[in-house]
Amino acid sequence: MKMKLWVAIASLALWTAVPLGAHHSWTADYDGGKPVTVKGVVTKVEWTNPHTHFYVEAKDEKGTVTMWNFEMASTLSLERGGWTRKTLPVGAEVTVGGFGGRAVLTRAIAGSITTADGKALFVGKPGQ
Amino acid sequence: MRRLIPVLLVVVALSLALVEAQDLGRRLGGANGPTPVEAAPNKPAPKLADGTVDLSGVWTGGGDREIGTLLKPGELDTILLPKTKQLMASRNDGQDPYNYCLPGGPLRITGGFAWRLVQHPTVNAKYIFMLQEGNAHTYRQIFMDGRPHPVDPSPTWYGHSIGRWDGDTLVVDTIGLNDRFWLDGSGIQHTEQLHMVERWTRTNLTTMRRDVTFEDPGAFTRPFTVTYTARLGVPESEIMEYICIENNQYGLAQGLQPTAAGEPVK
Repeated sequence: MKMKLWVAIASLALWTAVPLGAHHSWTADYDGGKPVTVKGVVTKVEWTNPHTHFYVEAKDEKGTVTMWNFEMASTLSLERGGWTRKTLPVGAEVTVGGFGGRAVLTRAIAGSITTADGKALFVGKPGQ
Repeated sequence: MRRLIPVLLVVVALSLALVEAQDLGRRLGGANGPTPVEAAPNKPAPKLADGTVDLSGVWTGGGDREIGTLLKPGELDTILLPKTKQLMASRNDGQDPYNYCLPGGPLRITGGFAWRLVQHPTVNAKYIFMLQEGNAHTYRQIFMDGRPHPVDPSPTWYGHSIGRWDGDTLVVDTIGLNDRFWLDGSGIQHTEQLHMVERWTRTNLTTMRRDVTFEDPGAFTRPFTVTYTARLGVPESEIMEYICIENNQYGLAQGLQPTAAGEPVK
């Protein structure tokens, strides 16, 4: 009981310690309550600022194609993390995890990218 | 107890999701700048040949935090005039000109991205430049040659800045600012009467302290001071190119209508 109470207290502390609603927050555009996982093929990469974008064509079991526009970090942030504009080539098969747009779900933000060979491309974290 | 377990699981899951979300936020919003060098509080600030302190280098931070978070609880409320308070309360992130790639003014030039301080010439500098890689990819120039402010200057985004040394502290006095930018990300609005006095002190090799005093009878009840800290980037740090306006899709995912470049949503 004592142990579980500690877990509850620690979790609540962790939760409430997170500053919510900060300006300049990515949550203005994206909804942390709408996690998405998209498997498909990269059709376009915009190596641009303020943020990079890449587009993924995903086909469901009925053959319906959906085009996703994923936002990533700035080119500066990615380059400082070891990326080049060729790190994610057009035609690559990827599985992307992230969060959907508040009003337009398919305008999403990428939190993780895994290539067909199982390699995880970290999205903008230095050293990876 | 059995009823408590599902509640606990939900709390843990929510906590983990929020931590992940915060990490993502850092990567996107606040992690553009260089990796700060490891803190070296025992190593003194370097000096130039003539004994002047050397502030040059690639720095990160020093102007990115919201002003209210640097004051005592409730203090901001006593500083803002009623109209300033009202305007701030009416604002949201979708209206911040900075999010539409417009300049952030003298305070935010050091926020969120790498910036380089240049003393030129190196010894007995006549100018100090602050070069910001991010947002509007712009710069600030500080005149160190003893000239006074012009009388009634036309307002600009970075104003007219004159600097002098007070011992090892660089004192920068700025007037002539326009009112087209938000003072910080929380939506505090100043007027063209804004007068800023900054005291920049390199307290050790890796740390720069920035005390900023704001005075604006058109927006604030009294002058007030906040303190920021900038950190030196790792030795290989360079400022990089960042053209914010080239592909800014801010707001589209939340349903805001696209606007002309540089025009915040009304």
